[in-house]
Amino acid sequence: MNVWELIIQQPLTNVLIVISHAFGGSFGAAIIILTIVVNLALLPLTLSQIKSSKKMMELQPKLAELQKKYAKDRQKLAQEQMKLYKESGVKLQGCMLGMIIQMPVWFALYQSIMLALAAVPEGLLNLSRFLYSWPVVFSAIPMNPYFLGMDLASPNIVLAILVGVFMWVQQKMSTMPTADPQQQSQSSMMLWMMPLLFTFMSLTFPAGLALYWVVNSLFRIGLQYRITGWGTLFKRAAKPGAEPEKKHLKFEQPPQEEIKQTIVDKNGEIIITDKESLKKSQKKGFLDRFFKGGNNGQQDQ
Amino acid sequence: MKLKNLKRIGLISLVATALIIIAVFGFGCVSGLSAIGWSGGAVQNDVLYVGSMEGRLAAINLVDESRQWAEYLKVQSSGGIFGCSSMLSCGGDTSRVPIYGTPVVTDEQIFVAGYNGKIYAYNTINLAQRWVFPRDTYLSPFVGGMFYDDNKLYVGCSDGFVYCLNAITGELLSSYQTEDKIWGTPTVADGVVYIGSFDKNIYALNAGDLTLKWKYAIEGSIIAEPLVANGIVYVGSFDKKLYALNAEAGTLKWTYEANNWFWTQPVIVNGTLYAGCLDGFIYALNPATGAVVKVFGEEDIAVISAFASQPAVEGNYVVFASKDGIVYRIDTTTQELKVLAVLTGSITGPLTVYNGIVYFQTQDIAIQRIDIESGALLLSISLISG
Repeated sequence: MNVWELIIQQPLTNVLIVISHAFGGSFGAAIIILTIVVNLALLPLTLSQIKSSKKMMELQPKLAELQKKYAKDRQKLAQEQMKLYKESGVKLQGCMLGMIIQMPVWFALYQSIMLALAAVPEGLLNLSRFLYSWPVVFSAIPMNPYFLGMDLASPNIVLAILVGVFMWVQQKMSTMPTADPQQQSQSSMMLWMMPLLFTFMSLTFPAGLALYWVVNSLFRIGLQYRITGWGTLFKRAAKPGAEPEKKHLKFEQPPQEEIKQTIVDKNGEIIITDKESLKKSQKKGFLDRFFKGGNNGQQDQ
Repeated sequence: MKLKNLKRIGLISLVATALIIIAVFGFGCVSGLSAIGWSGGAVQNDVLYVGSMEGRLAAINLVDESRQWAEYLKVQSSGGIFGCSSMLSCGGDTSRVPIYGTPVVTDEQIFVAGYNGKIYAYNTINLAQRWVFPRDTYLSPFVGGMFYDDNKLYVGCSDGFVYCLNAITGELLSSYQTEDKIWGTPTVADGVVYIGSFDKNIYALNAGDLTLKWKYAIEGSIIAEPLVANGIVYVGSFDKKLYALNAEAGTLKWTYEANNWFWTQPVIVNGTLYAGCLDGFIYALNPATGAVVKVFGEEDIAVISAFASQPAVEGNYVVFASKDGIVYRIDTTTQELKVLAVLTGSITGPLTVYNGIVYFQTQDIAIQRIDIESGALLLSISLISG
C-alpha cells in the first residue's frame, strides 16, 4: 500500500463503510453524508474561493477600464491589475491554491466511493486490503448498492442528467461577466463543456459517483447562493464587443408629434454613442415606417 | 525581499507537489474497477479447459500443446448506455465477457458460466455449442463456478438464486432464492447442496428439488466454496472466521478467527485442514477441533500476501498462490513451506494440478505451468486466440 492509499484512501473508505453501516447499510446515504462532511471540512477554502470570485466580479468594470487605458502596454496593465487586486484584497494565489488543495481530496473521495462500491469481483477482492480490523467494517461488506430504487453500482440516466443540470447551474452562478470576447467565449465553452463531460462520464461510471457529483454540486450551489445570490444565473451574458461603461438606451415609443420634432432637430440635439442602440433605433425606425405605411418616411425626406 | 522569494519558492513547490499528486493518483484508475475474470482449469483426457480472459472457452491439449477455442461469449447488449456494457468501466474492453467460474467437464460436455448471465454447454470434441441457459434472455452475472452431480448442474447467481439445470438439455429443473447475491460455488455431497450467500447465511438445500434443509446465519457474507468432509461443512466468511458446521444438522462445531476474509475453499490433506486467508497467512488447523497446527507466514521465509486462489493438492503437497504472484508448496508430512516460483503478475484464479504440474491463468492471458516437485517454471502457453 502506498502513502496515498495509506493516509487518504484507506481512512476515507473505512469511514464510508462505517457511515453506511450506521445508516442501516445504505451506501447512498453514506455517500451523501461523507460528501457533505468533506465539503464542510473544506468550507474555509471554498468560502475564500467564492469570496475572491465575488470580489473579482465586482472589479470587472475597473479591470475593463484598465484594459482600455493600458491596451498598448501589457506590462503596465499587469502591474495595474495586480495593484488593483492588492488594494481590493483579492488573493489570486489563494484562490488557485484553494482549488489545488481541494482537488486531491475530491479525487480521494471519488476513489473511495469506487473502491467501496466493489461493483465487480476484482473490486471486492481489492477492497479487502483497505479494510481496518474493526468488526463493523468486515461485517458491512459487501455494501448494499441500492438507494431510492437505483443501483449505485451501475450507470443511471436520471442521476447522469441531474449531474449535468446541477453542474451547469453551479457553473452559471459562478461565471464572471466579462467584456473581453475571448474570455467570454472561453467561459461560455466551459459552462457547457464541463456539465456535458460529467454527464457523459456519469453514463459510463457507477451511479454512486454520479450521486456524489450531484450532492457536491448542490452543496456548492447552496453556498454560492448564500454569498452571491443567484449570481449570473438569470443574467444574459453581455454581447461581445459591448463596452460595459456605456449603457444601452431603451427607446420608448414617443408620440407622433415628438418624432416629428426630434427628426427635425436631430442634428443638433441627439447624440447616440452606443452602436447597438443606434442599430436598434434605426431598426425600430425602419419597422415603424414599414408598419405605418411610409408616412414617416415621407416626412423624413 | 528574501522572505518574499522564499515564500514564492514554497508556494511553487506546494503547487507542483499538489499537481503531481493529482496527476499520479487522481487521474489513474482505481484498481479493481474492470471485470476481467479469473477462471481456473479443468482437465479431462489430457485436455485442459479454461475460460480465457479473452471471454471464450479455450482447450489446450497438454500432450502436444495444441489449442482450440470456442466462440466468444456474447455481451448483453442492453447492459449499458451508448453500447457500453455496464459491467465494464474505466477503459475496459467492451466486447469481452469475463469468466470467473472454472469450467466443469464431463466425458462429452464442458459447461461454462459467464459474467453475462448465461451458462453454456459445449461438445468436448469440437467445442461446438450444445445449449445455452437461459436461451433468449440474460440472468445476472455468474461469478461462482458450477457443480456437476448425477447429470445435474448446480450454480449460484448474482440474482440470489441457486439454479439446478438438466446437464443434457440445459432445462431448468428447480431453483431456490436467497436474500442477496451469490458469488460462490456450490458443493454437493450426499444429496445436499451447500452454498454461501452475500446475505450472511450458509445454505444446505436438498439436491433433488432445492428445498431448504437448513441454513446457518453468520456475521459476514460468503464467497468461498464450502468443503464437506467427514460429515462436517467447512466454509470461510467475510467476518474473518472459518466455520465448521455439522453437515446433517447445520449446527456449529467450531470457528477460527483470522485477520481478514477467507476467500477460497480450504483443503484437507493428511488429517490437517489448510486454509489460505486474505490476511496473508495459511492456517493449518485440526479439522475436528479447529485447534491450530501451524500458521504459515508467521516465521517462514517469505513475506506472504493475500491468498485468493483456490489451492491444489498433489500427493502430500498443497500448493498455494498469493495475489502478488508467489507460488508456495507445503509438504504436509513435515509442515514445511517452500517458495516454488515468483511471478511478476498477480494470481487470483484457482490452481489446477495434473500429472505433477500446477496450472493457472495469469492476466497476460496465458497458462503458467510449474513442476511441483522440482519447482521448475515451465514455458507458459498463450491463450490469445489471434
